[in-house]
Amino acid sequence: MLSAALIVTRKDISLTLGRGSGLVQALLLGLLLIFVFSLSLLPGQRMTPQAAAAIFWMASAFCQVLIFSTLYAHEEINGQRQGLVLAPAPVQSVWLGKALAGLGMLAAAQLLFIPAIIVFLGQNVSELWPLGLGILAIGDIGIAAVGSLLGALSQGQSAKESLLSIVLFPLLIPLFLGGIRIGSAVFSGALAEGAESWFGIALAFDAIFVAAALVLFPAVYNAEE
Amino acid sequence: MLLNARSLAHFYGPRLIFRDVSLEVRPGTVTVLAGANGAGKSTLLKILAGLIRPSSGEVETGRSSQGQEPRIGYLGHQTFIYPELTALENLQFWAALYRRPVDDAGYQAILERVELAPFAEEKARGFSRGMAQRLNLARVFLLESDLLLLDEPGTGLDARSGAVLLREILAAKAKRAGIVWITHSLDADLRHADIVAFLENKTLGFYGPSDTYRSSRAIAPDSADTRKACGGEAC
Repeated sequence: MLSAALIVTRKDISLTLGRGSGLVQALLLGLLLIFVFSLSLLPGQRMTPQAAAAIFWMASAFCQVLIFSTLYAHEEINGQRQGLVLAPAPVQSVWLGKALAGLGMLAAAQLLFIPAIIVFLGQNVSELWPLGLGILAIGDIGIAAVGSLLGALSQGQSAKESLLSIVLFPLLIPLFLGGIRIGSAVFSGALAEGAESWFGIALAFDAIFVAAALVLFPAVYNAEE
Repeated sequence: MLLNARSLAHFYGPRLIFRDVSLEVRPGTVTVLAGANGAGKSTLLKILAGLIRPSSGEVETGRSSQGQEPRIGYLGHQTFIYPELTALENLQFWAALYRRPVDDAGYQAILERVELAPFAEEKARGFSRGMAQRLNLARVFLLESDLLLLDEPGTGLDARSGAVLLREILAAKAKRAGIVWITHSLDADLRHADIVAFLENKTLGFYGPSDTYRSSRAIAPDSADTRKACGGEAC
């Protein structure tokens, strides 16, 4: 399963980098969001660390929707989805392959969001940055797991099913809450009491999302029209 | 036996497409699947491939001549080609995903067989319908599948490319592949068929050896249509 997933990942990254537009759109959307929020500040005013962290994760969330939409759209052009379904590997390898590709792209986008947050929202990165990296990794894994499932759900389906992917979006809220709490600590330099517990909560949701996606993906991604 | 389909029936919503369809595919045979437009040929082929579930009945996969689960090569109405990848990259991706180790010479050889070698490094987005279909054929034949399911593979091909297609089908048959081939040129393709499955009146109107089909429908062994399909020559 892993080797088939890596083949899909390599192809998707090659397609996205070759065309470029998929990642550029996602990047611009996230950066635009950060910039627009910066307009709410008066000259010299700094945004609160909590609000800055929330904006960072919101930009990441919108970015991942575009990323996974683009990744699954590759298979809707010439019926390649049927070829993937027929491949001699579990169909979950498609989910994993696209989740890995999306994870890489999301991380690349976030590498640009962080300086944008520092510049436009007047934030500083404190010595707690390793905690920030940790929650970033855990949060991104969960986002990629759900994003890859919802990306498949929203492709080539009826409007009702596309809407379902939006309805299911709040599933990510526990991850965002953890990310915002820890992100806020990274920007302010002050770790609130009990904030570490968010790591455990975020990890638990990662496990749930991965397990649910592995079980549900074959029902979501097939060749039936 | 590579595939055994028993008592298949399929509905699209309330509309019955076909019922009571049973057939089997053996190694080294060509089964031509024919019928009028809308008879359900493509649906049946997708069911045989495992792409869609039948409303009732079952499809059982057997063993290849190597005693393994048969590898399926499916060629449908769409080309499975990624337009932003080159012809070579497309083949490399599908070969890797289907666990078919191919070296550079192998890719070169298959591209030459479908007359696309000069375009190996070109992105497929610029390919004509015929070129895309030839690349699609290269993808299918590169995989050296045990079971080939071909849905009107001649679509978009000129007479010369049609001859290439026929050569590849016969080569696959010689390698003991089982082939199910949907065609609208039944009279022309009948001479290459071992078995004919003809869908009519929402069921298999005929299923049996091609010779029997030919005699039952009074078709000459080498009709004008056959010669026309082969560029005026016997093929």
